[in-house]
Parts: sequence; C-alpha cells; structure tokens
Amino acid sequence: MDGVTERLDRWADPPLLVLASLADEPKHGYAISQDVAETMGVRLSAGTLYAVIARLEARGLIEPLESDDRRRPYRITMAGAEALAQQSERMSKVASVARERLSTRLGWAGA
Amino acid sequence: MRSPLARAALALYPPSWRARYGDEVLALLDDSGGGPAAVASLAWHALPAWFCPPRHLHDRPARMRASLATALMSWSMLTGLGLVFAQLTQLQGLAPAAAPQIRWAYAVFDISLATSALIAGLGGLPLWLLMLRRAWRDQRTRDTAYLLLPVIAPVAYLAGLIVTARLAGGASGLSQGWFGVITLAGFAAAATAAVGPGLALRRLQPRGPALRLAATAAGVSAGVMAVAAVAIVIAVTSLDLWARQFAGYHDGTLSGIYLALVVAAATVTTVSAARGTRAALAHP
Repeated sequence: MDGVTERLDRWADPPLLVLASLADEPKHGYAISQDVAETMGVRLSAGTLYAVIARLEARGLIEPLESDDRRRPYRITMAGAEALAQQSERMSKVASVARERLSTRLGWAGA
Repeated sequence: MRSPLARAALALYPPSWRARYGDEVLALLDDSGGGPAAVASLAWHALPAWFCPPRHLHDRPARMRASLATALMSWSMLTGLGLVFAQLTQLQGLAPAAAPQIRWAYAVFDISLATSALIAGLGGLPLWLLMLRRAWRDQRTRDTAYLLLPVIAPVAYLAGLIVTARLAGGASGLSQGWFGVITLAGFAAAATAAVGPGLALRRLQPRGPALRLAATAAGVSAGVMAVAAVAIVIAVTSLDLWARQFAGYHDGTLSGIYLALVVAAATVTTVSAARGTRAALAHP
C-alpha cells in the first residue's frame, strides 16, 4: 500500500470522497461537490476539491475527459478503482466489527 | 461568481496550475455561487500548490529555461565580483608569505573561474546558436538583438574602458573615483549581457537536446564557480586577518559586505542551476 492509499484510510478524507463520487460515472467539479454533499454529507470547498483533483490526477487515480466546456469531467481509473475498493473493504471490516461490538455491549442494532 | 477576489485568489497559484485548472475552478465558483469562504479556501490552498506542485503539471523545458535565465544573471554578477576581487588583491601582488593559503586561493580562483566560464560557454553555445538561427530565420529583430547582447555589451564596455583609461588615467593609474565608475559600469555591462539571452529564452521558448545540454552545463559550471566563491572567501578573510598591512584600503565592514554579496550570488547561482540540471536529467 503506498502513501496515498494509506492516507485514504480515513473515511472522510477528501480524496476518498472524490473517488467514491466518481465510482459510478464521470463528473465535473461542481457535480462532484454536489454529489459528495448530498450523498455523503460533506461539503468540499473549491480550494479543497481542486487540490484533491490535482493530487488524484497526478497519482493516476482519476483522469480528465475531453470537453469543449470549461466544466471538464473526470473519471476514475483502474488504479483509482482498486484503491477505492481496498479502502472500502477495510472500512467495511471496521464498520462490521464496530457494529458487532456495539450490538453485543449496548444492544445497538444499527440504522 | 467572477469577483475580483476570486481572480485574486486564483492569481496566487503557480502559472502551470492556473493554466490547467483555472477555468474549471472559476466555472465551479460560477455554478456554486461561492462566497468569501470559498474564495478564502481557494487562497489557502495556493500555498501547498507552490511547495508541492502536482507532478503532472511539471513543465521541464520551462523549468530549465527559467533556471538558466536566473543562473546566468547571478553567475555574471558573481563573475563581476570575482574580477573585482582579482583586481584589488591578486593583481596588486597581495600575497604575503606568512599566509600561504592566500596564494593557493588565488590559484584555485583562477582555475575555477576559467573552467566555469569554459563549461558555461561550451554548454550554452549550441543553444545560443540555435536560438540565434531561429530568430534570424524568422526575422525576429528584437530577439536577435537580445541574443547578441552577450557579445555587444562586453565589447562596448572594453572600448569604454580603454577610452576612459586614456582620458582619465594619470601617471599612477585611475583615481579611486574613476575605478568606482568603471566597476559599476562593468556590473551594468555584465547584467546587460546576461539579461539578453534570458529574455530570448522566455520569448523563443526553445526545447530539446540543446536546452538540456545548456541546463546540465550550467549546473556543472555553477558547481565549479562555487569553488571560486569559496576561494574568494578564504583569500579575503585571510587578508583581513593576517595581512592587513598589504591591504591598506581594506576594512572589515567593506569586506563583510563584499563577502555577503559573493555568498548570495554563489547561492542563487548554485540553487538555480541545480534546479535546471535536475529538470534536464529527470526521466521524461
């Protein structure tokens, strides 16, 4: 696991949110920020979003698509999908363990 | 949102970042109607964009050209400072037997300066000829003039020097006032000679093997010139400490200012040239 993938470990890490947003289809900047806000409940500012986009693009985890518009869409690459899958798996395990232990101790059944 | 503040925040980013993402960011701000908080966030993220620029935005030829232009200017200033050193010490015969390191420093300085100039000249010649041919072929008069400045400025300076020496020189040579004038004119000539190719590099934007050769040679030349700078520091410090009787016009303050200038010029030259060389040697 490289440094970037390691940093994706935190569930609310902006790079991970952007990768998750692009997992189903290509989106441009505004669509990503809207999607992240609506589905994940996190607001990404323009500065944060484009810092993340530049970093992910440099690492080959996302790639820009051709566009005549100023709103250039991005899509997740195979490397990005693998990184996202790895992190999702780890997060699932953490969530599963947490849910199970909370259930045992507090009788919490989850949402 | 196209407020002046948003544009100002975007202007804080490196040019390559702005060229790649600027329009997209403005489109995002247009769509989201971002307020002061969005602009502040944009400005905040400009700093890491300078310190950790994304690798895919690296424009290696542009890096090499910028480094070459800066290194050439600082190298010229350092050479000028070195010639002042030679004129005021070595050529005056200030080589006391009690401090043999001074004589050694003179020898190291001479060899380093000559080697550095030779490497810079040989390494930069193909690029200079390439740009000159292109400027001439495309009838770019201004760029041709810029490229000829390294020839014109020294020749004009030497001609002025000869005329001044004949008109103002007495039996004991030039007065201190005239020496100061000639020294300042020398630095102006060196700056003029260096700024010409720098401007031509920016306007003609050459690429390819000649640029890489020049950037690599600049790194080697700057490294050798740093040795010359160390020799200057050793000689001047030694003269001030152990041979004051030989250097009547020397005083600690002037020597300190002079050495600070030498160290500053050597540092800028070495750092700039090293950045250019690194870009030249990096894998594409």
